[in-house]
Amino acid sequence: MTEKNPNADVAEMTYEQARDELTKVLNQLEQGSVTLDQSMALWQRGEVLAQKCEEWLTGARAKLDAVLKKKG
Amino acid sequence: MDEDPEVEVIIITRGGGGFLDLVGFSDEALVRAVAACKTPVISAIGHENDRPIIDDVADLRASTPTDAAKRVVPDVVDERRRISESLERMKSIISNYVSNQATLINQIRQHPLLKDPHAYLDQRADDLLRALGELRDELDSKLEKQATDLTNKKSLLRSLSPQSTLDRGYAVIRDESGQVITDPAKVTTGQALKLRVAKGDLEATAN
Repeated sequence: MTEKNPNADVAEMTYEQARDELTKVLNQLEQGSVTLDQSMALWQRGEVLAQKCEEWLTGARAKLDAVLKKKG
Repeated sequence: MDEDPEVEVIIITRGGGGFLDLVGFSDEALVRAVAACKTPVISAIGHENDRPIIDDVADLRASTPTDAAKRVVPDVVDERRRISESLERMKSIISNYVSNQATLINQIRQHPLLKDPHAYLDQRADDLLRALGELRDELDSKLEKQATDLTNKKSLLRSLSPQSTLDRGYAVIRDESGQVITDPAKVTTGQALKLRVAKGDLEATAN
């Protein structure tokens, strides 16, 4: 397994894609059939995906708040 | 006279007289001429009870010459009355029309849209504000739901990850190819090993 950056693709994902991918990662981890090493990689990928989703949600919330503030 | 288009009516008349005075008005030639006449003919011969034959072919029989004239010329009083009646009717029609229109305009003015145009706009503005509010609430709850969902996934992810195990002091040992070592018999002396502990990787050599 190359440690280069296996999660570079996450940056290109839409919110839905990242969320669905995160669900997939969780399912894989839950099944427990992966090696310890794979589970480490999955977990790191999951963290990156969760981060991506969180950023998107924070951005959306900020946009909404900005509009609400402007309109009073 | 019948030939002249200017002649509108012919009156044949004579005052009272004896039978012989009036017998000429029963002459066959005269009676036939009157019957053939296209112009209306009024006969007014002698008195009421004289009945010369011309009376039977004339278009109208007047009792006396005066009566004949009265029947031909319209009555001034009558005409005046008719004119004034027409004028009255005309006035009342126009006045009704005007008052109907006035009522109509008044009704139109009473319409809420004209009476208070602001109210109409205000209502639309209220509708718009309400719709906007609903839109925001909708978006808000959607974001909220996604955020909750994400938080749950994150905590599940952490609970499933081996990090918590590493945090307790365990280490994962792998060979150079990244394969996890589970059997000491498979490790040769001097082999390079990778150790993963809670905070990161470190390298070691078997001896």
